[in-house]
Amino acid sequence: MGHLLFTGWNCRECQTFVEKFEGALGKGKGRKLYAYKVMMAKKMIKFNRDFENFKTACIPWERKIKEVESHFGSSVASYFLFLRWMFGLNMVLFGFMFGLVVLPEVLMGLPYGSIPRKVVPRAEQANAMDYSVLLDFGGYCQYSILFYGYYNDARTIGVFKFRLPLSYLLVGVGIFGYSLMVVIRMMARNSNEGGDGGDEGQFTFSFKMFTSWDYLIGNPETADNKFASVTTSFKESIVDEQENQKDENIHLRRFLRVLANFLILCCLGGSGFLIYYVVKQSQDNAKKDQDELTWFQKNEVDVVMSLLGLVCPPLFETIAELEEYHPRVALKWQLGRIFALFLGNLYTFLFALFDEVNEKLEEEKSIKNATMWSLKEYYANYSSYHNTTDVPPLDIAPADVVRGPCWETTVGVEFMKLTVNDIEVTYITILIGDFLRAVIVRFLNYCWCWDLEAGFPSYGEFDISGNVLGLIFNQGMIWMGAFFSPGLVGLNILRLISSMYFQCWAVMATNVPHERVFKASKSNNFYMGLLLLVLFLSLLPVIYIIMTMPPSFDCGPFSGREKMYDVILETLEELPTFIGNIVGYATNPGLILSAVLLMVLAIYYLNVTSKNYENANLELRKKMQMARDEEKNRRNNKETTNQAMQYLEDLLPNRSLIPPPVITEESALSKSSKVAKHPGAAANGKGVNLQKDVSLASPNPRAAVTRPPGPRGPPGHARGPPPGPGRGRGRGAPPPRR
Amino acid sequence: MGSRASTLLREEEIEEIKKETGFSHSQITRLYSRFTSLDKGENGTLSREDFQRIPELAINPLGDRIINAFFPEGEDQVNFRGFMRTLAHFRPIEDNEKNKDPTASEPLNSRTNKLLFAFRLYDLDRDDKISRDELLQVLRMMVGLNMFVSQVLRMMVGLNMFVSQVLRMMVGVNISDEQLGSIADRTIQEADQNGDNSISFNEFIKVLEKVDVEQKMSIRFLH
Repeated sequence: MGHLLFTGWNCRECQTFVEKFEGALGKGKGRKLYAYKVMMAKKMIKFNRDFENFKTACIPWERKIKEVESHFGSSVASYFLFLRWMFGLNMVLFGFMFGLVVLPEVLMGLPYGSIPRKVVPRAEQANAMDYSVLLDFGGYCQYSILFYGYYNDARTIGVFKFRLPLSYLLVGVGIFGYSLMVVIRMMARNSNEGGDGGDEGQFTFSFKMFTSWDYLIGNPETADNKFASVTTSFKESIVDEQENQKDENIHLRRFLRVLANFLILCCLGGSGFLIYYVVKQSQDNAKKDQDELTWFQKNEVDVVMSLLGLVCPPLFETIAELEEYHPRVALKWQLGRIFALFLGNLYTFLFALFDEVNEKLEEEKSIKNATMWSLKEYYANYSSYHNTTDVPPLDIAPADVVRGPCWETTVGVEFMKLTVNDIEVTYITILIGDFLRAVIVRFLNYCWCWDLEAGFPSYGEFDISGNVLGLIFNQGMIWMGAFFSPGLVGLNILRLISSMYFQCWAVMATNVPHERVFKASKSNNFYMGLLLLVLFLSLLPVIYIIMTMPPSFDCGPFSGREKMYDVILETLEELPTFIGNIVGYATNPGLILSAVLLMVLAIYYLNVTSKNYENANLELRKKMQMARDEEKNRRNNKETTNQAMQYLEDLLPNRSLIPPPVITEESALSKSSKVAKHPGAAANGKGVNLQKDVSLASPNPRAAVTRPPGPRGPPGHARGPPPGPGRGRGRGAPPPRR
Repeated sequence: MGSRASTLLREEEIEEIKKETGFSHSQITRLYSRFTSLDKGENGTLSREDFQRIPELAINPLGDRIINAFFPEGEDQVNFRGFMRTLAHFRPIEDNEKNKDPTASEPLNSRTNKLLFAFRLYDLDRDDKISRDELLQVLRMMVGLNMFVSQVLRMMVGLNMFVSQVLRMMVGVNISDEQLGSIADRTIQEADQNGDNSISFNEFIKVLEKVDVEQKMSIRFLH
């Protein structure tokens, strides 16, 4: 109203204004409606806020992960975040598989026992319920919805005319499509967030000092976590600082790095050759009489694989110490190398699997011929006996029908066994390698000659690389096996949930934080990159099988067809003809080639544009940095405050960290442009007087908290024992096939 | 509670507090009821023990200093006026205030005054500079001695939680004093611009210029 009085409207305008805002003014007709609207708006805001709170509370395991993060740093927590993300992905895959394949078959398909493929054969029925057989996924397990062989090949089932074979094929391929989409979307999102590092470099420690406490914490446990997290974050910054301040003898470092890589390549080559040799041996052994072979000869491949998986990762880590990378970078190298090692493992597994499949195909041919022959015989006999051509169908109990070997189910069973094996190995390794070790170190310490806690073997550190690779390879196995065993995804869900709880407990109870706690890179793109690679590797065999191998003739949803993708062709035939025509044109090689060419050009164009944007970004950042440095230099004293340092620097030319007095703009510009390449704190330090004697380089003494064993003298070494059995168990290896 | 609060707080007082701090009528009555609920001795003033009963302050490493900020120099009791004067720093900044009377002195909840409140938490001797020793004291409070104490207590009490608690190791959790000193030096290096080896109020403002102080140092539920 005050505003109104001063604007000088005439009477008519005032009137219309008052009428419009009657409600708000609390007078007149619109009052109730307006008040109601305001109330609804407030309720809406409150509802939105509550819903946001609810959504945040629904994120599973958030508190657990935060607890681990506070005590162990963001690098260890990144593994658990990755695990949680995998769980989300697998839930969606499980939803697809379960809802579109398993459920329709269970609800609308034929029940157990009605047709041959759904029944345990008569020969095996005696011990179909035995525990050992079930553990091996034989018996009733094998002839259940868990595996490919159970599904019927009727084109449509049930009241809704659900096309199960088509759905099976589409879900099998759709799993890969969805995973691909999600992984790439995550990578894209992560690369976005890696944007603004420029500002943070300026006041890292001041920020941490003044703003790290969360004043809303009221719970003592949360406060403990916050303390731990503040400590950890300081330690991370110290590590980063150390890296920036390191003395550079470039030539020595380069030589050492080349040497280390050479050694590791030798190791990898050696292990590759060993694997090849052992596989060849086992192939030869398979042809010999089984009784003549020793246990070792029978399980050569498994033993060699396990040994390699146990020995090589710590070896790589030891060699990697020559390289002196930042721990984050060292982790990436380690991951890459162990990945290369485990590819060999994968190769043997697939090799052996293909051998088995080919064998089964041969067997199937012979059984198929036999079945055909016996059927012909039956018809011939019947018609000749009863002298009629109208022959009733063969009436045998489903359990007695002669059955083919169903190689797809075999493949599914292999993957299941592999996954279960992997779970067992992981959990046992944690129990023995971490828990038992912690208990022994803790309680034997009272009566042992040297200090077990500070020296060898001390407590284990959480093996990030082994666990991440284990997770990635496990997921690769799931992707490969999901087509042959719909139950596999469900098993994986159980595995991920139990893994989360078990590993969180194990980490908090039996591990100690790394000596050099480092901040995980802002994006998880490295893990995602490996995951993408594994996704492609697991996509290839499945697509190959779908496209080229003939399905079993009597089991699974594609039985009787020439190739598995024939289902799609059959479906297309049922649709109206013009769709068939369109699809026919669309699959013309010419069209596909042009589309591929177009996509390649688009990729190239987008790549170039994004590089240009990146360059522009960098330029802008440099300019901002220069402006800041200039301002700082203007306010600073031009000389260093440390006279002794100045004297020393004068004696040693060309190694000065203290910039010469900046007077002209050009020198400031050139210095800043050189310095801008290192956006870390050291760069800013170079503009401000970086005093090298601020040593953040002295590492933490490993001081155990438990005092009772009595005075043992100060734990002298700063870095602890060399990383012998302390690290790297190579748990991530997919255990060899039995 | 409401009726009791309004009978003990007279209209004139509310008006004066309103003028001094800028809180509205309803906000003042609400804060008054909070004041009386904290005042266990029911004598119209709060002592340090009353504040330490608040859990968020008890576990805060700077809790004692925050409590100190409420009490004027050398006194042990704070009345409602003093309570409101300190809380006035945390009043949310409203937009229309920026256009009001430019000649009047800066309101207590301006950005500069909020930062000054925070600054005084670190600057114990009130010499308008945060020295290296003061930073070192803050660091010692923040990183970990308290945690050690509470961990030990929990270990002694929770023997039935053998597996999860007793085995929890704290090797390497704390930071050595030498490193704390280096951190303090580094912080001063980052923030100090005039080379006097301490952080003045202006340098403090510069460090926190990117932080949304107006929003973070405001009591939101008063909206």
